[in-house]
Order: sequence, then C-alpha cells, then structure tokens
Amino acid sequence: MSNRFFITALAIMAAANILCAQQELMLHQQSQLWHATAANPAFVFPDKKIAIGLPSFGLDAAHSGDITYNDLFREEGGRTVIDPSQAIGKLEPDNEIFYDQRFELLSLGVRLPGDVFLQAGFATRINATVDYPKSLAELFWYGNAPYIGQTLEVGFATNTFEWHELSFGLAHRFNKALTFGGRAKFLSGISALQTDENRNYLGVYTDPDIYQLSLQSDYAFYSSRTISAIDTSGLGFELVQNQFKNGFSANTGWAFDLGAQLNVGRNLTLAASVLDLGGSIKWKKNSNYFQSKGTFEYNGVEIPGTDIINGTTDSLDFTAALDSLNDVLQFQKSAAEFSSELPTRIYVGGTLKLTQRWSVGAVVHHQYSERRSATSVGVNAQWSPLKWLSLGAMYSVNDQSAANLGFNLILKPGPVQLFILSDNALNAAAPYGSPAVNFRFGGAVVF
Amino acid sequence: MRFTKGLIFLFPAMALLGVFSACKKVGLDEADIAGHSAEYAFPLMNTTLTLKDLMFKVLNDTLSGDTIVVNPDNTMTLYYSGDVAEKPATDIFAFFEFPPNAPPIPIPDTIYKYPLTVPDSVYIKRADVLTGELTVIIINKLQEPITGIFSIPQMSKNGQVFKWPFTVPADTNIFSPVLYLDGHNLLSDSNTLQFRYEAYLPNGDRVKLPEPFPGFPAVGLSLQKFTLSYVEGYWGFSEYPLTRDTIDIDINQTSLKGNVKVKDPKVTMTVSNSWGFPTRGVVKYLSFLGKDGNEYKLESTVFNGDSIDFEYPSWAAGEVGQTKYTHIVLDGTNSNIADIFNAQPVRLIYEVAGISNAKRDPTITGFLTNESTIALSMNVELVLEGSAQDFGAEQTLDLNFGDYTDIDTTKIEEVEFKLVTENTTPISSALQLYFQDENGVAVDSLFRGEPQFIMDAAPVDANGNATGSKRTETFVQMDIERFDRVRKAKKIFLQTYFTTANGGLVPVKLLATQQATIKMGLKVKTKIF
Repeated sequence: MSNRFFITALAIMAAANILCAQQELMLHQQSQLWHATAANPAFVFPDKKIAIGLPSFGLDAAHSGDITYNDLFREEGGRTVIDPSQAIGKLEPDNEIFYDQRFELLSLGVRLPGDVFLQAGFATRINATVDYPKSLAELFWYGNAPYIGQTLEVGFATNTFEWHELSFGLAHRFNKALTFGGRAKFLSGISALQTDENRNYLGVYTDPDIYQLSLQSDYAFYSSRTISAIDTSGLGFELVQNQFKNGFSANTGWAFDLGAQLNVGRNLTLAASVLDLGGSIKWKKNSNYFQSKGTFEYNGVEIPGTDIINGTTDSLDFTAALDSLNDVLQFQKSAAEFSSELPTRIYVGGTLKLTQRWSVGAVVHHQYSERRSATSVGVNAQWSPLKWLSLGAMYSVNDQSAANLGFNLILKPGPVQLFILSDNALNAAAPYGSPAVNFRFGGAVVF
Repeated sequence: MRFTKGLIFLFPAMALLGVFSACKKVGLDEADIAGHSAEYAFPLMNTTLTLKDLMFKVLNDTLSGDTIVVNPDNTMTLYYSGDVAEKPATDIFAFFEFPPNAPPIPIPDTIYKYPLTVPDSVYIKRADVLTGELTVIIINKLQEPITGIFSIPQMSKNGQVFKWPFTVPADTNIFSPVLYLDGHNLLSDSNTLQFRYEAYLPNGDRVKLPEPFPGFPAVGLSLQKFTLSYVEGYWGFSEYPLTRDTIDIDINQTSLKGNVKVKDPKVTMTVSNSWGFPTRGVVKYLSFLGKDGNEYKLESTVFNGDSIDFEYPSWAAGEVGQTKYTHIVLDGTNSNIADIFNAQPVRLIYEVAGISNAKRDPTITGFLTNESTIALSMNVELVLEGSAQDFGAEQTLDLNFGDYTDIDTTKIEEVEFKLVTENTTPISSALQLYFQDENGVAVDSLFRGEPQFIMDAAPVDANGNATGSKRTETFVQMDIERFDRVRKAKKIFLQTYFTTANGGLVPVKLLATQQATIKMGLKVKTKIF
C-alpha cells in the first residue's frame, strides 16, 4: 500500500478528529428556529405561515482518546504538513472515529388551515464509523522493520455511507397545546463502504530470519461507488473510485421521523422525537463485495540450487520478485447487494420559560446502531436580551466527557433567522486542539 | 421595497456563505508529508545447495564417463575413468591374411605347401574357419580333356577332407563354383597348408598340368572372406602395445584454489582378458600431473618391477570362451598415491603394454577366438572424505536489482543486508562479492577488505561426520553512497573460500544429503522530507 494512500486515509481520520460529538442537543432545545424541525418534526410555528429553510450545515464527529487535529497537521512555511508521528503516539491499541455530517440545502414549511403544517426538505448526509488499530498507522508510518517478529493486526472496520434525503412531513396541533408531527424521508444512496463484521482480519508478520513477509487475510467489504476496483499493479495498492456518482439511483430506502410537543401551561413545553426510524438504504447499483482470504508468504527470490550449480541461471534478478508482490492481497470482486442502517436517534426534552427573557431546559439524547450506541444529557439556559438576539448555554454529559459547555447565538432580524450553535463551544472555538467537535449553523426566513 | 425584500434572502445567504468560507480547508493532495524515518525489511533471495548436486556438476563439466556414486551410508565416491582400452585379438595377431582382390595363389605342383601368415613366435596347431569362399582355377592346355580332384588334406569338416572333383575339356580354362569353407577345421604343425590336385587323362594316366606360359602354373586358387573362429597353438614371447591414455581429475581442475587433502584416494586398474595365453602387463608410464605442473610418478608394490601378469583363460583347463579379470588397486597401503593427491593432481597419464608368454614356457598351448579381447580400464576413485583449507572458487554472475535500480536514493538513509546460512556440511565458507559495472570494473564490494566467513561448518564428531546444522548470520551495512553504486551494478564477481571443519585440519566426510541454505534479506531505512 502506498504511503500516499495511507497518509490520505489517516488524514481523513484526523479530519474527523477535529469535530465534535454531542448529537445536537442544543438544536433540539431551540424550537424557536425553523431548523429545529430537523430534531423534531412537531416543532412548528403556529403564528407563521411560511418558513423557508436556507442552507444549514451540521457536523458531529469524534475520535476516541484525545487525538486532535494539531497532532496530525501543522503549518510549516505556509504549507500544511501531515505529521502523524505525534498522533500515532496518542493512539490507543484500538481506535474509533465517528463522523456525522448533515447539509440541509433547502427546506420549506407551510401552515394550512386547521393547524396543519406541511414541511419538505432536501439534505445530503454522511454517516461514518471507523474502527482501526494503532498498528495500522504504525506499520505504514514507521515501516515493518521496527516490528520484526511481531504479528501486526492491521485490519480496520468501517461503515461509511453518504446519501441524499428528500423529506415530506405533516404536523398537526391539537387544542393549541399538543402537536404531533411525522416525516417520511426518501433516501437515495450516493456511496457506501462497509466492511464485513465477520471478516476484518489482516495480519502482517515479518520473520526475524531474513524478513520473510507473511500476510494473512480474511478481509471483506462491501462498496458502492466508493471503490470500484483495487489495483495492485506495480508496487502500489490504489483504490479506484467510480467516476460516476450514484445520484438518485436504484440505491434507495426510507426513514421516518416522529415527534410530539406538549405545551403544559404557558411556560412549560415538553418534546420528544424519534428520528430516522427504520432508516435503511438498500445498495443495488454499483455495489460489490470485495474479499481477500488466505495466507500470502514472500520469501524472496527462490533460486534453485541446481540452477546455480549447473549454470542454468547466470544472474540474480530481483525484478520478478518485486512483481510477485502484486499477488499479495488479491481481492476478489463480485457483485453483491447490501444495506446500510441509519442510526436511530431519540430526543426527550423540556423547556421552562422563567421570564420574558430567560428560559431553562433539559434534554436527553440517545442514539443506537449496530456499531455504535451513545447517550448524552444536557441542561441549558437561554437569554434573549433583545427581540432579535438570543444567547444560550448548555452543560452536557456524554460517553466521552462530563464537562461539555455548549453555546448558541441566534439572530432574528425581522423574518430572518441566523444561528450558530455547538454542544461543546470550547472545542468549536478551538477545534484543532480538540478530539471532538460539534456545531451547526444555518439560516431561515419565516413569515 | 422590493429591493428590501430581496435583501431579506440575500443577507442570510451572504452570512452563511461567509461562515462556510471561514471553515478551514485542508487540501490533502497539496499537503506535504512530514519528514520522518521509516524502515522496511523484506527478503531478497534464498537458495539451497546440496553436496550431491555440487559434485555432479563438478563431474559433468567435462568427462561423460565419470560417475558419482552415492554409497549406502550416503557417502559419495567419485569415479574418474579413462577410456576403456579394448584390444581384439585381430588387432594384435593377424592370421592367414587373404586380402580382397589379391591375385590367386598359384599352385605350381600337384602337392604344394602354402606358408601361412602368422604372427612372430606363434605356431598354429589348429584353426577353425568361420567364413571363406574358395575358387579353384584350372587351365587345361592339353588337347585332351582331363578329370581330377582338388583337395586340402589338412582341412576337413565333420571328418571329411575338403575335396573338389573337376573335369576340364581340352584346351579350356575353368573356374570352380564358389566353395564355402565355413565350419572346416585346419590342422597344421608347421604354419603351412598343403594344397593337392590329381588330374587324369581319358586313358587314366595321371598328369601334372603343363604351364600355359612359362612360370605361370596351370592351377591356382582364390580365397575370399576368410576368417577364423578359433586358433590354437603356441604363443611365444612377444611384446605389443595395449593402451596409452589420460584421465582428467575434474575436482582439481576447477578454478578452485587452495589446499585440499583427499583421504584414501585409489587408482584401480581392471583387465578383462579372454586371450587364451599368458599375458603380462607392463606399465610403461603411470604418473600424475600435479596442479603445480610437476609430474608425480605413481609407484606401487603391487607391480613386480613395472609389470603384472594378467589372469587368462586356460586351454588346458578347458576355459575357451571365458573371460578372466585382473583387479589392481593402488591405494595408500601399497602406493604413494596419498602423497600425490596432496599436490591436487589434475591428470593421470598411463601407458600399458602387453607381453605374451613372458615366461617363455614352451609347454603352454594357447588359443584365440574371433571374439577374444583384452580390455584395460583405469579409474581414479575418490571417496569424498578429506580436508580443505581456503579451497577457493570464483564465479561471475549477471546482476539485476530490478526496480531497486530506479529507486530515488535521496529518500534512503542506509541499507543493511542480512546474510543467513544454515549449513549441514562440515565446510565453512568465506565470501567476498565484488559489484561490477557492465565493463567488469569493480565499483564496490560487499565487505571492506578481505573476504569474511559467512558460513560456519557444521560440528563434526571424531570420525569427521557432521552432527548437526550451523546457522550463521552476517550483517552488512551500507550507507547510501555505497548502496547507490551497488544497486546499479550489472555483474557480481563472487569469490568463495572453503575450509573444512576445525580449520581444515581433520578429514571430514561429505554426504550426499548435506546441504547449505543461503538466504539474504534487506533492511532499507528511508528518510522523507
């Protein structure tokens, strides 16, 4: 595998490291924002007729341990330099990356007579989890020589997929107090890379004898568009990507959001939602299964002794030996369908309006999927000193940290809504020194 | 107002655009990789050399007649053989020569003793005709017809003397039909053969046919395709050449250098003899030519002076048709061959002559058949047991580092070769490799200075038997300047020096099953800036 490939892969991982992982607790508590409907389809504007959601970008990512962007990248002479040395030192034996990106391009809400609210939107999302061993990074950064006599297990697991999301929703408010909302989301897969959970072993052993190489593989993955072929010609190990995006294709699926909001009295609001319920994408187009299984040993050029003795070989030629490395890890490709399951998210929260300018709240979030399950809890306070300005803060606890301080800034000049919020403001303010980052920003116009 | 409403959308859009552009972008394709060191290790080559293959190669280089024999105990014996000198009796002893197209034998009288051609000192008593075509010619110049009988009284078949009756008209010449002599026996005690004819006129008078021309007999005969299957008689003292040949000792003719001692070398001479009379072999010349160019005479107590009597089939004992063998072994117990082999002889030169009836015994009746031969073969026999000190070989191989040739060495800090040998032979080896360019000019060497021992001999017991395997590891570090020269080399000049166990001071046994595995790996330390 070429250094460039590995560096690129590691850099992608590190890029995720700069991001946060709170799952938008803050967004759920800002029901005043149109984009909060992404967290609960029951969040509607009973006193507005139309809401136009402008682009909103949300990122939620984390790396296990305390590895940061600054551990991997540095500036040198005005150029970005990738230096995994420090990052590798901080890695645990097994490491995890979580990455969730949402880019909501456009959304629309319309209030119909009878307290019925229609909503629609289009978004592009990425969800990824990567589990990789420290030895993978060590092998490709330091080479195999420092690990002679050791078996390095370098297989990594991932479930990464990107998709378009076209949603249509309906909400209805009952008796000015209880609102139910539901949303159906048509999912169109763009690309996916999903390793086989039962087959992700790659072992590399360098024999102390004369450094004979032994690679053991029982590794397989599904891919749609991400990788169309693996080219091991020459000495490289290049991943060949599809030249055509799947776009809206045969790789489709559905997901559903359900939500409820209850106004208890004039000042207390309770809300709950379940998102991406039953979400799944069936990959049928450009989908393949790559597998490599076996033991590949390379002992150098085998020169029969009789050839040397009899003079039938009169040269030592290492060219063929190098070419034979191409045989290592030959992946067999076959067409195969597979599916990606969207993580299901659940929000339960409440907001108590203390004064005209102050309100407080609490929220619980839980997410689960086959690979990852996480729960976070937060309490927040919101201060609106001016009609068009609102500031908020949140303290939250999650699986990784018990000290997350979130912050939000909301501007509402007239019908315009602009916001930026983060569940971990310190990380968001200095993302390059943080192992996790979470933020969202966007805008909307409501009439 | 419409413009103001437009701003409602434009303002948040611009604001969001600004936020997006504020996001840090990392162009990974454009990013530089930090300088660091990495070290990669991988195997280069491996080979296994067996002594059996190696010895076969030494033998097969030149003489096809040489053989190597793997003995039941896996020791190996080298046999260097000279050409087998086979002498049919007819090559030495010519009897009754009747060349094709020779003129007829004139028979000048009614009884005529024809002198037979026989070798000197040989007296024929009996000869058995294998083939022969006889034609009798009679010229009758008389004015009357004649009748008669032509006979050879000493020649008979199944008890019947050879006879041919004839009738010749007046003033007429006749040729008899071809008379086949196969199966006839000739008996003679004087190396002569008697021909006889009786001719009669019609009135019964016996006559001697007159010469048609003065000095030209009226009777003659032609004998064609005459061969004998058996000759019996007396062989007197006579010397004749048998063979002169050389045997190349290949093992000492390689480019190997150094000192080698072979334990218990042997020269064997085997004589197979079906000549039925005493023959003495006389060694005219028996010397080795040393690697130093000197001649070393092989002397042995086996020889009586310079000769030895060969076994032979005895007529008196009824051994006609048998073959007798004489084996002569010259070894360290009866010759100076061991001392000679210390000089690494490259060639054995020998010449052997034969003497019949060397004892001049007149009572011995001898014989030859048409298949009688005497054959002499000479062998040099070396059991591969001995010792060697700095026994060297040189070889030049082409070299191709393949893709390594094109490696950007600016990214390499140093390399380290690891040479591993696993040796079950009782031989150690020192090595030096010279890397050469396409013109054969050395650009560098594997080791600085002298060759280094890269293969230790396997341990041996008191009898010189290897008792295990010996692993030797040798590391050769090269800085990038040296490696840069080496990887572009086109040839490799290999010098190896072999020394047997314990410094080459004690004889060791070389077994066909012994082998040496040679492996090489490479570590490359890279630097990336």
